[in-house]
Amino acid sequence: MDTLAHSVTAAGPAAARPQLDLELRDIRKRYGDFTAVDGISLKVQKGQFVCLLGPSGCGKTTTLRCVAGLEEPDAGDILIGGKEATRDPPWERDIAMMFQDFALFPHMTVAKNVAFGLEMLKKPKAAIAERVQQVLKSFEIASLADRKPGSLSGGQRQRVALARAMITEPRILLLDEPIGALDYSLRETVMLELKLLQQRTGISFIWVTHDQNEAFSLGDLVVVMNHAKIEQQGAPEEILQRPATAFVASFVQGNNVFRGRIVQAADGLLEIETPAGTFLVPGAAWAAGRTVSFSVRAENITDVVGDHHLNRLTARCTAVEYFGAVRRHIFERPDGEVLKYDQFGAHAARIAVGQMAVLGWRPEDTVLHTGVPG
Amino acid sequence: MSTIRVRSAASYWLAVPAAAWMLGVVVVPIVLLAWVSLWGGRAFSTASPLTFDNYAKFFANQTYLKLALTTVGHTATLMAVTGVLGYCVAYFLTMKVRSPFWRLALFLAFIIPFWTSTLIRAIAWVPFLGVNGVINQTLMFVGATQSPIEAFLYSRTGITMAQVSLYTMMAAGPVVYMLNSIAPQLREAAMTLKATPLVVFWRIVFPLTLPGVVIGQVLVFLNVMSDFATVATIGGNKHALLSNLVLLFYEGSQIRAASVVAVLLMICMLIGVVIALRVVDIRRLGAER
Repeated sequence: MDTLAHSVTAAGPAAARPQLDLELRDIRKRYGDFTAVDGISLKVQKGQFVCLLGPSGCGKTTTLRCVAGLEEPDAGDILIGGKEATRDPPWERDIAMMFQDFALFPHMTVAKNVAFGLEMLKKPKAAIAERVQQVLKSFEIASLADRKPGSLSGGQRQRVALARAMITEPRILLLDEPIGALDYSLRETVMLELKLLQQRTGISFIWVTHDQNEAFSLGDLVVVMNHAKIEQQGAPEEILQRPATAFVASFVQGNNVFRGRIVQAADGLLEIETPAGTFLVPGAAWAAGRTVSFSVRAENITDVVGDHHLNRLTARCTAVEYFGAVRRHIFERPDGEVLKYDQFGAHAARIAVGQMAVLGWRPEDTVLHTGVPG
Repeated sequence: MSTIRVRSAASYWLAVPAAAWMLGVVVVPIVLLAWVSLWGGRAFSTASPLTFDNYAKFFANQTYLKLALTTVGHTATLMAVTGVLGYCVAYFLTMKVRSPFWRLALFLAFIIPFWTSTLIRAIAWVPFLGVNGVINQTLMFVGATQSPIEAFLYSRTGITMAQVSLYTMMAAGPVVYMLNSIAPQLREAAMTLKATPLVVFWRIVFPLTLPGVVIGQVLVFLNVMSDFATVATIGGNKHALLSNLVLLFYEGSQIRAASVVAVLLMICMLIGVVIALRVVDIRRLGAER
């Protein structure tokens, strides 16, 4: 895919571009009584890989379609490359989009599909033919040039769709669950290829997914959405280590979420009473009686409890899942919820199913949720 | 319960009733027709010698040839008008009418006239097109014309108007089906690739509905070519097409001449269908999705 990378950089010198490729200001969209997008604000730096992550129906696809111009927001502004584009039709926006089922034109050959975007730009015929050959080669689909999409495999279709979208060298590529339709075994390879392609071309990617593995391994910026709002946005590490809301903590794998009431605050620690016990959580001196939530990651829990593991609870192990590098233990918390405890390394199992164990973790490994969805 | 496998004896037996019916009411009569059209001599007898004389007579007659040409021209006109109109109706129904209630209501409004017989629908046009008909009265009422226009009834225009109303739905139906089968993402993908709505239609929507257009055109073609009832009712005695000629010869007991025209009409239709199949492979409909 080198040739593509090369020509894209040549086509749009980085210095000439404004700093932001995309800015969303308080986007809102309703369908009758259903609020699909409720005040989304987002800034995408040039060349950034942004993942919109959330459960189905959270508004991530609607947000993407607003950026593409396929939906018109009821309120808010969309700026593409610093230029107001809220009311622009799709064909006047500096974007390209890859659809979940790839949306290849079934009556056109692969070469014709890929050429479509350039034909719309009214490039000379010879130039189009040459460029298409080049792109087909760089996406390793040159041998499919004369085939119709109906005869291609899922992986081949995905490449064709990507080639078709990338050939116009858009400022932003919008991807709606782009690998959701692929075989599981293909996904990791394709993810890596897409990440490398994005880095080489410097095109901003906005990738919509419900799969957190995709979001955290690909995104420079991960935007977690729920109920039409952004719950938290930040680097993957930030979201994994410091979830801002109970939703983010429970949506992201490996967190144990507790809800409770502040009993007292002292020395930068909050004492929080929950149905599963009373725990110490670092945080600002919030008033006693306030309802809060906090979480602790499964790998920060231990069954070898020491003096500094001030947070403790006794629970029964209900299942053990072994993943090679990690042994995940599922416990039943005193409040009936599930507690996950990850033990790293290929040690022999220390806890058997059905066994009661005392588990502990340090207060500083506990994250108080301070964010409000917005 | 056992299932019936393709090409098993049971599957052939299942086809027997329909095949026997088709053989009796379609194949045998056509063979008979072709046979009768080749009868020579004067006697109406199975012992008649076989000859192409009847055909030679038909092609030697300028009037008949002109009639054949008129029929083809008339049919082409109708295909063009119903094709464009039908496509517009289909596009409007599937793409522009969003509410399911109105879609159903309009669809019913289009097909309810088809619950009556073709003959009745043809006759129903007479009070519309006549000198004191609805159209003329309306035109005079709004002041578009002073005296009634006589060209509507017993004219080619009248026939065309009636047939357009009769056959537009035939052209529209298959297009509705094809339009419905186009995934909305295809049009959206084209738009994000900088295609304006007109280009989206011309490059994406129209080519994908082409099989529907062709099927609709075949239906209109076959129906108009064989429609003697509308022509007889609206055209009166002044106008005739090939199909009316069959009736005319038949009523005049000129069975051999009637057979000749019928066979020629069938050949025309066959050619039309073959051409249509060359444009679009109807058998592979929907395979490329």
